[in-house]
Amino acid sequence: MNSKLANYFSVGFFAFFGGALRCFLTNIWSQTGTFVANISGCFLLAFLTYFFLQFREGRDWLATGLSTGFVGAFTTFSSFNLDTLKQLQSANSMPVMIYFFSSIIFGLIFAALGMYVGNKLGKRLAGEA
Amino acid sequence: MEIVTAGLGAIFGAVIRYAITNYGKKNWPKSFSYATLLINLSGTFLLGLIFALSLPVFVYAFVGTGILGGYTTFSTMNVELLGKLKDKSYRMFWTYLIASYLGGLILVFAGFALGKLL
Repeated sequence: MNSKLANYFSVGFFAFFGGALRCFLTNIWSQTGTFVANISGCFLLAFLTYFFLQFREGRDWLATGLSTGFVGAFTTFSSFNLDTLKQLQSANSMPVMIYFFSSIIFGLIFAALGMYVGNKLGKRLAGEA
Repeated sequence: MEIVTAGLGAIFGAVIRYAITNYGKKNWPKSFSYATLLINLSGTFLLGLIFALSLPVFVYAFVGTGILGGYTTFSTMNVELLGKLKDKSYRMFWTYLIASYLGGLILVFAGFALGKLL
């Protein structure tokens, strides 16, 4: 199979699990579920991106499927905004401020952590190989 | 069942996102994350609209949670934002951050208002 097509299949295949897992989290925790998916996804995507930069070896379909497919579908920007809208409509403005700004800040912090860990681990494994 | 429905929708959303990102890599300036911004803002507008329509649970799970949830992405945006900080492109960083978060808020309201009119 050509690699471009393989990447598309891989993205679709892994996206199923990312979307399903996010739906599961929002079913049990509601908006906190979206928050948990988004923030943990930032760590995971940064980890995978920087890990595979160091340690790739032709695993393009796997890297693309896991990052663009699984984590991309696991996290969501649209639900984040919709959750904010729902909270604003319920007129309780303090939690919505916390939700909104902590998503911005923790998204970046966890992405930075993921980058750090992914870089380290990728370099270590690439060094040993 | 709702979870499986959302997963199936996410397949379509993610594949469309991947296609737009690939198109953007070839045809749009690399200096700014146009593709992700376009994806996130358009998906947010559509989710606001869909939500306002009060669709049956399974239709919403497929289109809203699945397709649009899988289409938009919070993680890619943050990794791109982090990349701009790493490159010390502070203007790009703030432009991207504000365009995403302020644009997202405006568009989810716009979509919701339009959906209520329909």
